[in-house]
Amino acid sequence: MGSIKKYIKKQGGLWAVGPVDILFFVFLLAIITIGLVMLYSSTYPYAYYYEGKSSYYFTRQLQAVGLGFVAMVLISKINYKIFVDVGAHLGTLVSWGLLIVARLMPEYQGTHRWVYIGPIQMQPSDLAKLTLILTLAMWLDKYHSTVVSKKPMTSEFAKRINGFVGKPVMNDSVKIIAICGGIIACYAGLVLLGSHLSGTLLMLIVGVIMMVLGEVRWKWFVIGGTALIVLLVVAYEAGLLKDYMEQRIVAWRDKDYDPLGVRWQTNQALYAIGSGGLFGKGIGNSTQKYLYVSEPQNDMIFSIVVEELGFVGAALIILLFALLVWRGVVIGVNADSRYGALVAMGIVFQLAVQVILNIAVATDSVPNTGISLPFFSYGRTSMIMNMAAMGFVLSISRSARIKRR
Amino acid sequence: MARDTYLNKKSETARRGVLLLLFFAVFCLGLCVARIGYLTLVKGDVYKSKAEAQQLSVKTLNATRGTIYDSRMNVLAQSASVWLVYVNPSKINDENRQAVIDGMVNILGLDREEITAKLKANEKYGYLKVKGQIEYAEKTKLSSYISEHELGSVINIDPDTKRYYPNGDLASTVIGFTGSDGNGLYGIEYYYDDELTGTNGRIVTAKDGMQTELRNAFETTYDAVQGTNLVLTIDSEIQTILENALKTAIEENGASNVYGIVMDPQTGAVLAQANFPDYDPNDPYAIHDEATQKELDKIKNEEEKQAAVTEARFSQWKNKSISDFYEPGSVFKVFLVSGAMEEGVIDENTSYYCEGTINIADRTIKDYTPTGHGDETPKTLLVNSCNTFSVYVGQKMGVDLFYKYFDAFGFTEKTGIDLAGEGVPVANITYHSPEISFTTSDLASSSFGQTVSVTPLQIVTAVSAIGNGGKLMTPYIVAKKLDSAGNIISETKPTVKRQVISEKTASTVASYMEEVVNSGTGTNAYVAGYHVAGKTGTSEKLTSKDVVYLASFAGFAPREDPKVAVVIVIDEPSGANYSGGVIASPIAGEVIEKTLHYLGIEPSYSEEEMANMTASAPDVIGMSVTEAEREVRASKFNVRVLGKGDTVIDQVPEADRNTPVNGVIVLYTEESNYAEYAKVPDFTGLTMWQANQLAISCGLNLKISGGSYNGTDAVAYKQEYDVGEELYYGSFVTVYFAGKGSTGAADAEG
Repeated sequence: MGSIKKYIKKQGGLWAVGPVDILFFVFLLAIITIGLVMLYSSTYPYAYYYEGKSSYYFTRQLQAVGLGFVAMVLISKINYKIFVDVGAHLGTLVSWGLLIVARLMPEYQGTHRWVYIGPIQMQPSDLAKLTLILTLAMWLDKYHSTVVSKKPMTSEFAKRINGFVGKPVMNDSVKIIAICGGIIACYAGLVLLGSHLSGTLLMLIVGVIMMVLGEVRWKWFVIGGTALIVLLVVAYEAGLLKDYMEQRIVAWRDKDYDPLGVRWQTNQALYAIGSGGLFGKGIGNSTQKYLYVSEPQNDMIFSIVVEELGFVGAALIILLFALLVWRGVVIGVNADSRYGALVAMGIVFQLAVQVILNIAVATDSVPNTGISLPFFSYGRTSMIMNMAAMGFVLSISRSARIKRR
Repeated sequence: MARDTYLNKKSETARRGVLLLLFFAVFCLGLCVARIGYLTLVKGDVYKSKAEAQQLSVKTLNATRGTIYDSRMNVLAQSASVWLVYVNPSKINDENRQAVIDGMVNILGLDREEITAKLKANEKYGYLKVKGQIEYAEKTKLSSYISEHELGSVINIDPDTKRYYPNGDLASTVIGFTGSDGNGLYGIEYYYDDELTGTNGRIVTAKDGMQTELRNAFETTYDAVQGTNLVLTIDSEIQTILENALKTAIEENGASNVYGIVMDPQTGAVLAQANFPDYDPNDPYAIHDEATQKELDKIKNEEEKQAAVTEARFSQWKNKSISDFYEPGSVFKVFLVSGAMEEGVIDENTSYYCEGTINIADRTIKDYTPTGHGDETPKTLLVNSCNTFSVYVGQKMGVDLFYKYFDAFGFTEKTGIDLAGEGVPVANITYHSPEISFTTSDLASSSFGQTVSVTPLQIVTAVSAIGNGGKLMTPYIVAKKLDSAGNIISETKPTVKRQVISEKTASTVASYMEEVVNSGTGTNAYVAGYHVAGKTGTSEKLTSKDVVYLASFAGFAPREDPKVAVVIVIDEPSGANYSGGVIASPIAGEVIEKTLHYLGIEPSYSEEEMANMTASAPDVIGMSVTEAEREVRASKFNVRVLGKGDTVIDQVPEADRNTPVNGVIVLYTEESNYAEYAKVPDFTGLTMWQANQLAISCGLNLKISGGSYNGTDAVAYKQEYDVGEELYYGSFVTVYFAGKGSTGAADAEG
């Protein structure tokens, strides 16, 4: 107990001091509210048909929002620096553990993304997104000087390579980058084990974002990117790219491919979006939600949103997300520590990536991958984790020194 | 104030990284907005219409096809409710599949393998028609099966209609039939298809992705407009008379085809029209004629057989009496004489000496009688059916006058009947036109009805014009159009196309035509009291390799005020007799007699006919019943047998008693009961003819007193026995007749 107290004291106390950033909070509340309303509107026929109760998804999501809100407020009250080591080590351990447990769980819809503990079910990848950010933030902050260091390494092997290249490529930063890369690879790999391709992709992108924020040099991204591409090509040639993935790419390129199968979902989403027009059919008036758009509660919710609210409504929602991201970045760059900055910006950029990918899928701009729309899509783990993440940003905002104009 | 923040630590890398990420995020979000803008604003209509197309569920409300009635409102064609079954294959799962298939196989009688495969092939779709036109019993069975197995979301039953023709083949070539989708294909059904069809209604609703209707969502109903009902001029009774007569004709003469039309000559209304072989519109694809079917069965080659079957079908569906052209032969002479008399080329007294041949333009035209007919007048031209005189008359008229009447009688145009498929006369093919080529030789052969072609309908219409005082009518077959509530929408008014010849000419020619039937080639069409006027025709068909004939009769009756005009055409008779006089006339006579009788037209007998009105009752006592019956019938009496014995022991009236023809001879057998009596009916107010019919039907014989047999206006005013009195069957009842003027006096006396 003593060491914990010491640790807390060292990090500056248990509680965060100062007011939360009101703009960020307002944007967030607006998004959550709109998201909840649209979830109900989009899912009642689907819920009625499949679950027998039109409010099925809404009430469950509402519970998650309640829990998430408690988590968010609690976390926002706590001094975020408390989580530096806890988040990184314990968080990573729990995340990996759960991902492994998920892999061992019986298959559900062809994947192993879920962990069932009695009546509770959760998707570990939602937790992993957050813990990955926390972990990388810790490493990149703690070893920042090493990351930016250009001091050549002293080992024989490194000397030889440096001599061969003629530049000190093997410098101190290599170690820390290797560690970060390893962590990212582990996260991505474990998520991939659960056949969660979009989750894997998200892990990689989050990793890249964190590295960029952590001031890792550009060449490493080039090297990493090249390595990834080589890996992909090899995997493709080796036939490791699963059939359904290949199919989705084909379905994205050929708009007439298997209209009743692979392209059904995308086509129906496009019909819904197209039906929206400038101002939409009005809230509640979607017709595509009557069992045409599959998974209207989840990945394709945005298509119903556009059908009901139109181009204007959709643009406003995207604007709200953009404002939230902007405000998160403002909080981040003004945070009272590099760790805080990395966490805050990591979280909002991760959010932005998810929004962009989800909308890109719904609008048939990229091949269909299952990525949910934060605060809109149904999913209790993801809702709670997203709100918890927002709690971190709010906590960081309390001590941030944002210039008030 | 020192600001110890992330970007304040003077790191350009950090600043660039954040800006890059922020820019990238905003840029991508902007792209998303642009993409949504493109999809909603540019491509919106395309996607919207696709969405609507899949969301709208349009159910058709079938308009009931109009009913076709005959002139007495008997149903000739009617649509009845049937049902069609469809399934939603997307709702079939492993649990209900077996039940669905069992139902289809056991109740609808479908092939198990076939339906299983079909359901599999359509498993992603929401609609698969399984069977149409199921009847009420099947539908009820299926409904209870559906509720029993809870298949309501999978198997659906929709109302549909089916066309029924309650009289089978009666007037089939006139009525036509409908195809599988309910559209008229032939006859009235085709010609009046639009009106009969009506307009289908629709129920437009939204449906969800599982093809289930969203019941509470924007349902719009467009009511169906029911089809128009048609009342034809066809009278089923007359149609039956004509068809029975034609059936006899085709059987007795082994003819390939027979056609006949009965027309009201005053209006042009078609009372009956038939072609044989015909078909049953309830099953139009079956070959109806047994002889034709036998011929078809003989064909071994499957391909040839199929072609022959198809040909036979088209042939049996065709209304040949309006579509097919034939050479009218001698029948045509009545039009020649009419035209020539109208133009004054000849008159009643024009005389001609027939030598049996006439030379025209290097051709010698022969008569049927090689020795010639000797001295002739226009009347005997027709009575003898003299070719040479006809040629002479034709030559006297010349090409232009001849053509004028050929045209005026309507042989160069369609009659304009409201039926599809009427044959179109073509100059130089069906007739000679002076504008193209009309030689003297053509004129000669045309004069007696060769080298010109007409349709039976044209002939009956033209003959009607002679009967009705010279008016060429437009024939029609639909008398009235009724809406679904039975209100009259429209009624066809008889249309006079033109006055072809004067009433006087018409009347003269008509009297010649009566003479043809009384004493000329048409005597077989003679019906006592009905003054049948007509003309026979026999033509060789030149188109075939063998010499084949076509026999015809065209005429009308009664001559003074014709009620019916008839044309009978017997095509390719194969028996020993082939002339119109021998084989077509009796058929026409039968049709005319029965039709006028049915119409209640009273015969008016001549003195001579009067004498033939009674005959001596034969002596049949002691004969066996069958023998006696034959004997009595042969003597033109009706017969009624009382008792169940085998031998006739008594008869009323007694032998040699003068008894009206068609009267009743009652035969008593061993075990007969004399206590059976006929009740005397009330004859008051009836005409002689009506009274006679009544007496016969009661088993009594009429004895006429007073009046004149020819006085159609004479009615009964008194009778020998009181009404209800009982007499032996076959007894005579004296009924007293007087002209209408004297009836009042008689009443005053009584």
